[in-house]
Amino acid sequence: MNRTAVQRGCRQPASLSISRSALACLMLFIWPSATAFAQNDGRAENVTAPLGIRATHILGFASAKNNANGRLSTQDDALQFQANGRPAVQVKIASIQDVFLGEQSKQVGGVPMTLGKTAAPFGGGRVVSLFAHKKYDTLALEYVDSNGGVHGAVFQLNKGQGEVLRNELLARGAHVSRSADEPTKQSTGEVTSESK
Amino acid sequence: MKVSKRVPLVVAAVIVAITAAHPAQLPAQTAATKSFYASNNSPAAQWSVQVNKVDPGEVSLEPSFQIAIYEGLLEELSKTKRFKQVLRDGDRNAADVSDLLILRTTVQKYTAGSETQRAVTTVSGATKLTVRSQLCTRDNQIILDRTVNGNVRFLGGNLRATHNLARNIAKTIKDSALQEPSPSRP
Repeated sequence: MNRTAVQRGCRQPASLSISRSALACLMLFIWPSATAFAQNDGRAENVTAPLGIRATHILGFASAKNNANGRLSTQDDALQFQANGRPAVQVKIASIQDVFLGEQSKQVGGVPMTLGKTAAPFGGGRVVSLFAHKKYDTLALEYVDSNGGVHGAVFQLNKGQGEVLRNELLARGAHVSRSADEPTKQSTGEVTSESK
Repeated sequence: MKVSKRVPLVVAAVIVAITAAHPAQLPAQTAATKSFYASNNSPAAQWSVQVNKVDPGEVSLEPSFQIAIYEGLLEELSKTKRFKQVLRDGDRNAADVSDLLILRTTVQKYTAGSETQRAVTTVSGATKLTVRSQLCTRDNQIILDRTVNGNVRFLGGNLRATHNLARNIAKTIKDSALQEPSPSRP
């Protein structure tokens, strides 16, 4: 018993030392290449990489179709929207006069879901409506054309994306007035405001 | 006998021919009437309009709503074909336009509704907008002053209220008789 135990004890360090040296060699090969990859990734992030965000164009952006889903991105000095399967339209970032952030809650599912909820018996659709809503960010832009005419555009983005895009636009030279600095939040209840 | 049998056939053929000819004439008459009224609208068609940005007044209206009303107005006013040109706020071309009206829109009342509340209760959660629309000349003479509402009560998102409002404003302007632009006006 002891003999075998001793033999096993002698063998283990040898195999361990071999595997350790192999591991060390492997690490020697891998480490420089891994650091090189990491450096490359860092460089790629530092360079002004184009930002792309999925968005729904509600209205007003150049000649884009209303309520079109697509990708909103920054390309060099322009803000570009490319609807699915359509050519991209763009606006110079320098021509953007104001960027406003907002928040709104919308029912999901569109017309088919609405019809389904209406057809559901015993008011089941209303119960579904209680849970079938989602919060979105809205990004409103004001920009001027070559004649000085003011244009407005509204986009709907996933929650949290609006802030990212606004910061990107600011970094690239878009103007923001002081009043547009704070995001506005749409209240969910009925709130009336009236000017006398 | 043979002649008397043919007479009803001939009469029937004439009736069919007349009936077939009339529907072709009717649309033509309608088109002629339309074009007559369109040409009668020529005094109003001589005006151009410049749409100013929406003034929120003392109401805390979301910027996206203001922008949506402004863009909606430009679109709906163009659709009416009441004006020679529909210009944007700040457009330098407006300086060269002789008969220019300026559309000012001031928000008077805003009720922020909720789409979820509308879907659940049906009777509450309506988004309501009330604005004062003024059409002025360059020398601040008010030609039209109306209070217009736009709201969404049942189906649709909150921004739909802005679309309805813009449509109502355009309809109000289209239906109202504007005074003729004076020839001496610059």
